[in-house]
This record gives sequence, structure tokens and C-alpha cells, in this order.
Amino acid sequence: MDIVQKLEILSDAAKYDVACTSSGVDRAGKRGQLGATSNAGCCHSFTEDGRCISLLKVLMTNVCTYDCAYCVNRKSNADITRVSFTPQELADLTIGFYRRNYIEGLFLSSGVIGDADRTTELMIETLRILREGYGFRGYIHAKAVPGASLELIQQLGHLADRLSVNLELPSSQSLALLCPDKTRQSVLAPMKRISESIAEDAESRALVRKRTTVYLTDARPKRAARAFAPAGQSTQMIIGATPETDWHILGLAASLYKTMQLKRVFFSAYLPVMEDVRLPRTDHVQLDREHRLYQADWLLRFYGFDVREIIDEAHPHLETDVDPKANWALNNLDEFPVEVNTCPYETLLRVPGIGVRGAKLIVRARRQTTLGEAELRKLGVAYKRARYFITCNGKYMGRGVEFSREALHAALASKIEGGSHGRRADKVADGQMSLFEAVDAAPKLPTRTPTPLSEAPRASHGTQMLRTAREDALAPATAATSAREEVPF
Amino acid sequence: MAGQPASIPADISDELAYLHDGSPEGLLSCIFAAYERHEDPAEIACRADHQPRLLQTSVIIPTDPDHAHRVLAGIRTRLGAYTHRQALKCTLSGRADAGTALYRFVRFALDGTDRRHCESCRFQDRCARRSCQRMRMAPVNDVTHPRVKPFHDAVRSVDNECEKIRQFARFQHLRDEDRDIWFARINPKDSVVPLVLEHFVERFSIQPFILYDEVHALAGIWNGRESYLVDADDDALTLPGASATEAVMQDAWKAFYRTLSIDARYNPELRRQHMPKRFWKNLTEMQGIATALQRPHERPIEEVPGF
Repeated sequence: MDIVQKLEILSDAAKYDVACTSSGVDRAGKRGQLGATSNAGCCHSFTEDGRCISLLKVLMTNVCTYDCAYCVNRKSNADITRVSFTPQELADLTIGFYRRNYIEGLFLSSGVIGDADRTTELMIETLRILREGYGFRGYIHAKAVPGASLELIQQLGHLADRLSVNLELPSSQSLALLCPDKTRQSVLAPMKRISESIAEDAESRALVRKRTTVYLTDARPKRAARAFAPAGQSTQMIIGATPETDWHILGLAASLYKTMQLKRVFFSAYLPVMEDVRLPRTDHVQLDREHRLYQADWLLRFYGFDVREIIDEAHPHLETDVDPKANWALNNLDEFPVEVNTCPYETLLRVPGIGVRGAKLIVRARRQTTLGEAELRKLGVAYKRARYFITCNGKYMGRGVEFSREALHAALASKIEGGSHGRRADKVADGQMSLFEAVDAAPKLPTRTPTPLSEAPRASHGTQMLRTAREDALAPATAATSAREEVPF
Repeated sequence: MAGQPASIPADISDELAYLHDGSPEGLLSCIFAAYERHEDPAEIACRADHQPRLLQTSVIIPTDPDHAHRVLAGIRTRLGAYTHRQALKCTLSGRADAGTALYRFVRFALDGTDRRHCESCRFQDRCARRSCQRMRMAPVNDVTHPRVKPFHDAVRSVDNECEKIRQFARFQHLRDEDRDIWFARINPKDSVVPLVLEHFVERFSIQPFILYDEVHALAGIWNGRESYLVDADDDALTLPGASATEAVMQDAWKAFYRTLSIDARYNPELRRQHMPKRFWKNLTEMQGIATALQRPHERPIEEVPGF
């Protein structure tokens, strides 16, 4: 099989991984070596669905000993051709693409071939060829295989820029239901270890750099060792395959940012690619829900919001017609209007219609001049949304609409712009999906028919698990409220 | 008096336009000339695409690199390195009104710096006026001012165009017996090669390459030791043929690109927004797709059987 066909199969298998970011680390180029990275990252192309291609996203192999219900590479799927890259092939392909400016680096993931350790060794081998053989200084994102030994993950981290361990599903009950081979422990242990190693490595490097200790000056290495995952770690989870609420999902994300110092938590709306009794019998893809979750995630990471401000247990789902920030503002009308010419940056960030860029420009411009409507419009602020929440030099800008929750809610409501194609356009159910209600629309599963699941025993097993899942649906919620243990997973 | 042509009053006919040859040095020379001749031109434009307005007098200003450098040096000392860099970017803009925007900004910034903002300044007793960062940055920070906004916009669009080229330049490996080079053809709106060349040198220092801007007929060249700019149009380019692996790599990339899309998320508007169609003709992965998406009247008419 030639390399193009292999690439086609293995990238097709990897495309459901959402993360494709090349950000988080600045590494200057070096004469005589290939590659550099920039902190902001760079998107080199965009697919038909508008998602960016920044990294060469492939699997090492699609052979897998695990049997996760939603995954196209699951052991019991007999319909796909199983292939593997050799480490050398994959390294050559990465270099070939990189030199043509097609990509920013490599995103390496893998099915589990043999066992988790064997797979990780193959990945390490690939990265070693790239880093040491080719002197490659571009970006590498490696996916740690759940269950791999921590020593191997340690090695992987010193070769990669970013590591990720997928949570896969937003609660351990769901994980047990859909991924029988993965456990809470096998996912969280590497994640914890990675976050500790990153902190340790950063600390020891800072000490050496600053020469703060007398003892370490001589021990300063001649050749600097590679930093451990300098771009941090990320994770991803599937939304809508299991009955967790937005409240639970965001609580989990927030605690991951806090306790594991993750750089990103990715959400991936569940797409039916496999048929399985344990999976929702629907064809509706929750793209709008995914969008709202990302909006909330941005509020956590860039806008200084606390998760409890965005969502509470009494309203466990995000509003569908207004975005989370507008919703927060509507719930806290007593904090508005604010004076744009004097209020602090953090307050500006909380005004609907003013983003990070707009807030920075406002702070910069108001040193020189007094801002009114015309000035704000010039600064690229979404004035028609912001005007209800601001005063300019003491003058309230939102006249014409009553300053009450209902009136402003109507003024701010807007449909999510998701394009007029794809599965979003013909969505069948409004609001949040209910897992156990049949939706009267013909399923649009892929034309390729999946293997019929081996019949009676498994099916009854499945239904039983389904029932358990239904009972458990509330369990993550209660666990999250009461103890708020480290990670409500 | 009847029969005599009405004479044009002097005060409305003196709107001036300065014309330059389209180069950054030409534009800066016009700014120099405005100070030298004690005039205040209403417009500074490129000679090739200037349309004189009614009652407007056009003056062609000769390009003088020395004058251009003096203007830049003046901006640097009076307004600081940041504004200097912004002004440089503005001169490379492809917008028709970029010259006017830069001139009006420079006038505004240089004419008012002496006393601006000093009254309320905490440090005014201890201040060495000329090196005051607060005063230097004041004009460029006044983003909403009508003299600054057009300049700010022009610079921002140049910045965006730079990013697009960093994203969408595609290199091909070309080689024959004695040459081995990597070649990228780009079509940016602004003449951004001088701004992005350093980026490509940094990451591709092991491969000699040519970054060729077909719109502005400008090539950025890295020969493995140093980088330089060359004016070159398509006729002047003689390139070797593609190397042996080039076709395989292009096929692999196209296959990868095709595969990665998820049907259920199909959203071509979003793709077009991130990757504007004007870049598609030089994008490896869009070859073959670009024609299918032409507007109906641009599509070649297929043969009609029996006609």
C-alpha cells in the first residue's frame, strides 16, 4: 500500500480529534535546523467544514485492541482496513509537509496496538527521529495513550510540545459505559502526572536560568535538555452521547483548568459514525450546544469569569438564544450600566459586545480622548449589543429599550450563525437533546454499514447498561455538588 | 463681461495632489516634499492609478531615497520605534488611500508633539521632552481620531495580509542538475514580502527559497546565507522543473486535505471567511477545486453535442 493511501486511511481515522492548535510555545528558529514555533500558532489551511488545519493530524495506526462504542477504530468494526505507519515513514511525511509550509507540525495519536506501552514506544520512536534525526524545531502534539506507563509518558513529554490525554466522556460512569477498556484511573493518572512534570520542569529550569542557588551553577547542563511539554496539556470530551448537563461539563472543565492546569478543554459534539445500542439513537448533531459551551469556556479562560457565574445547578443548561456572557449580564443588571471612559479593564470585559480586543483598544484610546458612540463604533466594538450596558461620559446609550431583563433579553437574542449547510441546518429537535426519546427523523448514518453487533447476549448486556446509565444520570450531578472532590469526573 | 470665461477663484483651485511612482520611497519622498515646499497636499497617490479630481492640481514628485530615509528617521526620533514600524507597514499597503492616510497621520503626529499631554503629566518637572514615551505614543494611541483611524486601519490590514501569507504560502521543491530551490508564488493585496521574509528565513534556513509576489513583481530570496529582495516579473523567472518527490507530496497533501473534512459539519461559508477565495489559485490543496467553484459565467462552456 502506498503512502498516500495509508495517509488517507489514518487521517480519516484521526479527524474526529478536535484539537488542532499549534499555540502555546515560542521557539525561535536556528540556522541549519528546520522549523520554529510561534506562541499564537498558525492555521495553514481550512477544510470544507471551516475547521483549521494546523498540524498533520494522523494516527500511528488504526489497529486497536480497545472497543469504545463511538469510535470508528473499535476492535469490533470489521469494515475498515487496518494499517500502520512506520516511524520513519511518518517522520519523512511530516518533514516533507513542513518544508512546503503545509503544516505547523505533527499531531500524533494512535490506536492501541499490542498494549498501551508498545504504542507509546512507537510514538516516541517517531518523535525521536523528528527531533534528533532531522533536528525538527516545529510543533509536536502527542496524545498519551490511557494506560501507558508513566515513565514512557515522561519520555514522550520531553519530545513533544503539547501532550493530551482524552477524557473522552464527561463522567466516569459514561466512560465505563461506552469505553469498557478505559477507567477513571487510567485517564486521570497520566493527566495528573503530566501536570506535575510540567510544573516540576518549569520550576527547575527557572532555577537554573536565574542561578538562584549556589549549588546548581556548576550543574548547569552544557546542552539544554528539552523542556517537558512547554505548551502544556489539553483534553477533549464528547458532548451529547451521554446525558451529562452543561452545568456538569463546565464544572468539570473549570476544575481541570484549576487542578490540572490544562491549557484547553475541547468539546466535540457527538457524531454518529458507529451503530451501537449504548449510543443515542439520533441523527441530530449538537453543534449549537458545542458552540455555547465553547463560548462559556472562553469566558473562563480569557474573561475572568468563574464557572458559578456562568451556570448554576438550578438552570443546568446554557441558554440557547443568548450567549453565556449576555445571560450573565441579564442576570446581573444591577452591575450595569458602566462608564466606558473610566471603568477598569476587567469590567469592560464583562460588557456584552465588548471582547478582549475591543476592551484593550478602549483602554488605549481613552487615554487620549473621551469616547462616545462614534468612537466606540470605530474601535470595532459590537455597539448595538454593548449600548444597553454602558454610559459614555455619563450619558446612557441604550435608550429606547426598557432596562429590564425581558426587554433586554429580546434585544440581545440572536440565532447562532452556523452556516446554511451541514447537520445543523436540518436539526430535528429544538433545545437540548433528550437521550432516550426517539426523534422522528430517518437516521443519516454513514452509507458504509457498520458491523451488526453480535446479537442477543451483547444487546441485552447493552440494554442493561443503558438502564444503569439512566439511573446514573443524576449521580455525577450529586457528586459534583456535595464533595466537589478534585475533579468531578 | 458676457462671453468671457468665468475665471476660477484661486482659493478653490489650490487643492493639491502629490503623485509618486508607487514605491515606498516615492511615498515617503512626497511627505518630505510637503514639508520642503511648505504645502499641504490633499492627496498623495500613486501615479499609475490616480484619477485627478475636478479643480485639483497634480504634482509629480521625484523619488529620492535620501529624502525617504530622512522622513523615516524623523518619525523614529520623534514618535518612537513602534510608530516607525507602523509607518513602514503603511508604506507597503496596497490601498489607494494609504499614502494620504500616512501623510495626514504624520502631519498630525509631528505638528502637535511639542506640548501635547504635558499639562497633566506627573513627570513634567523631571521630563526630557524628546524621549518621553508617553508623548511619543500619544498620536498612535489616539485610535479614534479622524487623522489616525485611516492610518490604523491601513496598518491593520497589512498585518492581516502578512498573517495570510504566513498561512497560505505553499512551497514547491524544484531541482535540476545545478539548482535545488524551493519556490512559493503568492498574490497578496499589499506588498508584504519584505515583512514576512524574515519569518520564512527563520523556519526554512536549511532550504534556499524564493518567495515570489506575482502582484507586485517582487521576489524575496534566501540563498542559504543571506536574504534579499529582487524586482522580478514573471518573464524574468526561469525555474527548474519539479523534483521527484514533489508530485507525491502534493498528492498526499491533497488527499489529507480532502479526508479531514467532516460531512456533518459542512460549512463552506466559514472556510471562505478564513481562507478567502483570492488565495485559492496558489494553494496546492485547492487545485482542481477552484474551477468548480467559479461563477456560472466564468465557467468554460462545455461542448454541446452536435453543435
